[in-house]
Amino acid sequence: MKNWVKVVLVIGVIGLLAAAGLVYYVYNKPHRDVSKEQGLQLSAQNLYDAFRTNEAQANKLYLDKAIELSGEVADLTTNQDGKTVVNFKTSDPLFVINCTFRDNPGDLKPGQIITFKGICTGYIPDANVVINEGVLVKK
Amino acid sequence: MKSVIVLVLSMAFFATAADAQKIFSTRNGKISFSAPKDEDVKAVNNEVVSRIADNGQITFSMVIKSFRFKFAEMQEHFNDQYLESSKFPRADFKGNIVNLSDVNFSKDGVYKVTVKGDLTMHGVTKNLTVPGTITISGGKPSVEAQFTALMKDFNVSASSVTDRVTVDIACQYQ
Repeated sequence: MKNWVKVVLVIGVIGLLAAAGLVYYVYNKPHRDVSKEQGLQLSAQNLYDAFRTNEAQANKLYLDKAIELSGEVADLTTNQDGKTVVNFKTSDPLFVINCTFRDNPGDLKPGQIITFKGICTGYIPDANVVINEGVLVKK
Repeated sequence: MKSVIVLVLSMAFFATAADAQKIFSTRNGKISFSAPKDEDVKAVNNEVVSRIADNGQITFSMVIKSFRFKFAEMQEHFNDQYLESSKFPRADFKGNIVNLSDVNFSKDGVYKVTVKGDLTMHGVTKNLTVPGTITISGGKPSVEAQFTALMKDFNVSASSVTDRVTVDIACQYQ
């Protein structure tokens, strides 16, 4: 076999392996597991105050971060895909911290104080702060 | 005199009742999207805040970071490169039902509607007209609609992935 043919073949094989590796990586990289992260400790009221008073600053501090949130359960619902959603009270009766649980937190009741960890995905004015991927820490 | 007071009071009551507008809302509506040519490119947001009023106003607000993909790597690219969700954390739609007279919010049934309004996403606002369905069941509405969003309309450079997505809205209200 001529030398240049060998070189082309080797380059081709390396290219294929790199492409396969990239595809493998794209399809297998795991999602974040918030239960293994250290969360920023906050109360539901702290988080609401932060967004209400300075949204841009709160986005910088809390967006995409793991939050360990404590608060009083306002109500419990189930989302349209069957996941448990807990709304936490703030001083504004129309505003809550809306938390979707990744793992079922078990029996909870309105009025109960609980602590859980989740990822803060953002703020919707006049409605709620959104946290998802929640796991129960303490009840 | 007494009857005059009663009359005035009852008029005030009925005037208030006529003004009172019914608003239905959810904090956990569902909006998903998918690329028509690549079935792996799809994501779901189950944390959509939406309100619909019997005067025809309808709003949707969602945080971009709540869109969840099957593949973590795609979710990262979507947030960091395409939608730049740290810079533009939210998408908002505010619109009205064009054919409001076809909908009876107090009567169970399925109503075909056309909604016209403004969608703001990735820093761009675009006027959209979207056909959909409002279903009233047990006095509570749910909304279903589908439309195509072109990436270039919202300044999203994702041409290596797709030039458009099909957006699916499915929200149940309380």
